[in-house]
Amino acid sequence: MLTRPRALAAAAVSALLLMSVASCGSGDNTTTPTNSAASTGNSVTSGGEITVRGCTPQNSLLPPNTSEVCGGNVLDASEAKLVHYTPDDAAPELDVAASIDTTDSVHWTVKLNDGYMFQDGTQVKAKNFVDAWNWGAACSSAQLNSYFFAPIAGFTDPSGDGCNTADTMSGLAVVDDLTFTITTTSPTSNLVVRLGYTAFAPQPDAFFADTSEGKANFAKLPIAAGPYQIVKNDDTQMVLQKFAGYSGKFPGSVDKVTFKIYNDTSAAYNDVVANNLDLTDVIPSDQLVGDAWKTDLVNSDGTNRWGTKDTGVIQVLTYSAVDAQLKNTSLRQAISLGWDRAQVTKAVFNNARTPATGWVSPVADGYKADQCTNCVFDAAKAKQLYDAAGGYKGTFLIWVNGDGGHDAWAQAVCNQLKNNLGMECAVQTTPDFKTLRNKITKRDADLTGMYRGGWQMDYPSIENFLAPIYATGASSNDGDYSNPAFDQLLVDAAAATTNDAANKLYQQAEALLDKDMPSMPLWYQQSQFGFSSKIKSVKMTPFSTFDFGSVVMN
Amino acid sequence: MSEIVTTTAAERPRSLGADAWDVMRRRPLFWVAAVLVVLFVAMAIAPELFTTKDPRSCDLAFSRQLPSAGAIFGYDFQGCDIFARTVYGARASILVGIFTALAAALLGGLLGTLAGYLGGAVDAVLSRIADIFFSIPLLLGAIVVGSVVPLSPNSPLWRCVIQIVLVLVLFGWPNTFRLMRGSVMQVKPNEYVQAARALGANPFRVTTSHIVPNALTPLIVVSTIDLGSYIATEATLSFLGVGLPGTIVSWGRDISAASGIGYIRNAPHMLLFPAAALCLTVLAFIILGEVVRDALDPKLR
Repeated sequence: MLTRPRALAAAAVSALLLMSVASCGSGDNTTTPTNSAASTGNSVTSGGEITVRGCTPQNSLLPPNTSEVCGGNVLDASEAKLVHYTPDDAAPELDVAASIDTTDSVHWTVKLNDGYMFQDGTQVKAKNFVDAWNWGAACSSAQLNSYFFAPIAGFTDPSGDGCNTADTMSGLAVVDDLTFTITTTSPTSNLVVRLGYTAFAPQPDAFFADTSEGKANFAKLPIAAGPYQIVKNDDTQMVLQKFAGYSGKFPGSVDKVTFKIYNDTSAAYNDVVANNLDLTDVIPSDQLVGDAWKTDLVNSDGTNRWGTKDTGVIQVLTYSAVDAQLKNTSLRQAISLGWDRAQVTKAVFNNARTPATGWVSPVADGYKADQCTNCVFDAAKAKQLYDAAGGYKGTFLIWVNGDGGHDAWAQAVCNQLKNNLGMECAVQTTPDFKTLRNKITKRDADLTGMYRGGWQMDYPSIENFLAPIYATGASSNDGDYSNPAFDQLLVDAAAATTNDAANKLYQQAEALLDKDMPSMPLWYQQSQFGFSSKIKSVKMTPFSTFDFGSVVMN
Repeated sequence: MSEIVTTTAAERPRSLGADAWDVMRRRPLFWVAAVLVVLFVAMAIAPELFTTKDPRSCDLAFSRQLPSAGAIFGYDFQGCDIFARTVYGARASILVGIFTALAAALLGGLLGTLAGYLGGAVDAVLSRIADIFFSIPLLLGAIVVGSVVPLSPNSPLWRCVIQIVLVLVLFGWPNTFRLMRGSVMQVKPNEYVQAARALGANPFRVTTSHIVPNALTPLIVVSTIDLGSYIATEATLSFLGVGLPGTIVSWGRDISAASGIGYIRNAPHMLLFPAAALCLTVLAFIILGEVVRDALDPKLR
């Protein structure tokens, strides 16, 4: 889903995973507080309590209804799925599932680990998945993430609303307590990678027993199978307690995690600097200038208490679908070639973003570097293409939303285009993100030039960066891009029998984007985070959430 | 000032204007304010006299560089010359200030005179209308209008200035209206007005020749003082993103772009210079207004 709030919330930074990898290992001789965890036999036993910056979830805390970072942060820690993404590189590894097998990328057999427990003491069974998915996909449930289930056979969506008009999907069948089968409508070679998304979490019997509207009672304190249990959830905080009976391979370390709700990220940042808050996942952008935040977040012994992490977010500017002048491909190429990504990321973001070299985040499975030949700064070639294309008449507009701190970079891009191509360029801000999205959705006639788009991956696969954005008629195809060859490659890739073969085809499809330039990649986002002196180290995942299993206390 | 000259006296003393000028020119503050006003107005009229650099030509390579011989105010975030931007920014700010003050004085003055002279139903209706606009805070109203009718970067300078001026006048005129109304009511019972009436002058002549000239002083004074605050309001609106668009160089825009604790810590000069120019201009107009008030109002001498 394009530029959803989750993407907005993710702040940015430099390429290196600066958090020490060594620090997450076992054998940390950390002092364990007296209220130490009832250890579940895992190697990292740190105990203690931490407070984390939280924000008010947009919707009820149900996995199929949470698509933004405020609720996602919490559910990430509390839900267990078939597949778990490693915190380092988002590689999928089996969690609740013991195996997921297929021979044709259409018929899949899922076997569950025996004895995997929900937080209410009931066992996670095949029907908990099948029923939860059927419920999450159905239009009658009105869940935001229902479109995630679209590949499953029996998902009927004649009106294109992204939800299943029927109550069940024929492609799901329970074989026995620990086995179920998935049949997809068409070959979906990367299904396993998708299954780690929060929407695919199982639901306990208590969920189905809840008869309240939209499962509102259940959603207050949802019961899941993950390492942390939500024990308190109100307007000011959400408290997660370590689940003593957790049965999976990815346990938490600290005993208690409290998400304190902040409306202002600067306030959260200041609290972390003052050691009143233990973790923040957002550093205000003005603190990035001159690396002010790095000097703020240093312990008295000189060790750092900040980190950065590459996340699966790419920022692009889409060539307007309503601008007739931009139908000229060489003009689009000239605009992409005519400014220096490295200089902008350095000056505006203090290198807190990585210049894009393609349309797919390096975090994603199937990423290939240097796919975008038009993303390499070449003023001379750009000017030549620009002049050959006859230039751009009128003022070229770059549309950004005014509430996301996009003014500065957009102005910098504009200035470079002015200097290098000699075109008139101006930044047009809309009061907020919603206004911009509404204009784009309506393809407003005054929306000439380019408009900003950010994409936060749903699951770490190259497919997720191509199909939803550039396939003909796709839900987030803001630039109305349509190329039959591109569409065919996507179909072929989905039908490939191995993931590697699929990725090769996806990479060929991405190469077509370089020829047609439907959008101009800007940079890959990184997240910066800060922590208090209480914490020795912590890892952030490529989804900009914290991995509470890797928290090591001082 | 000649229109303020009163025509009642038979012995032809020195006019009020000449009197005021005599007082003002002996005050050093007047000269300080006047020099500043002339300087900034000159910047607004002919910025190219002050700098040869183009405020819109920016090179990111110079981003946030400190003041140096080549750029005496340094460079801003985008690598634009801050001195050039400060000089060119005067035009939009001062245009808005002067036109708003003029328009508010004209509209408020005219309606205030009507209400004060005619009284009765006209006064009641006009005063209630003024109360309605008075109850809406100027800044709030301007933000609402600015969000509903956003200015496009394609709009030329005059179009943007006119919109901002209209908005500020719309919510600013009750001030001058009240002032003028009160002032007219105060002058109206005077003997010379009665005398003019008794001699058969029509209401138009009574108002224009006798009442307005004698009731105008407070309006002139307050308008001069308000001029400064209108410039500050324009800067505030641009700062909030509902004022002048980014294509127009203005102090408010530059101050907005340079704000943020992190920026101030690392590159305070980006904020300092446009903010100082704004402060000096507002200060100059306010001092000028006060000096004029002191000079025109004998009670304060």
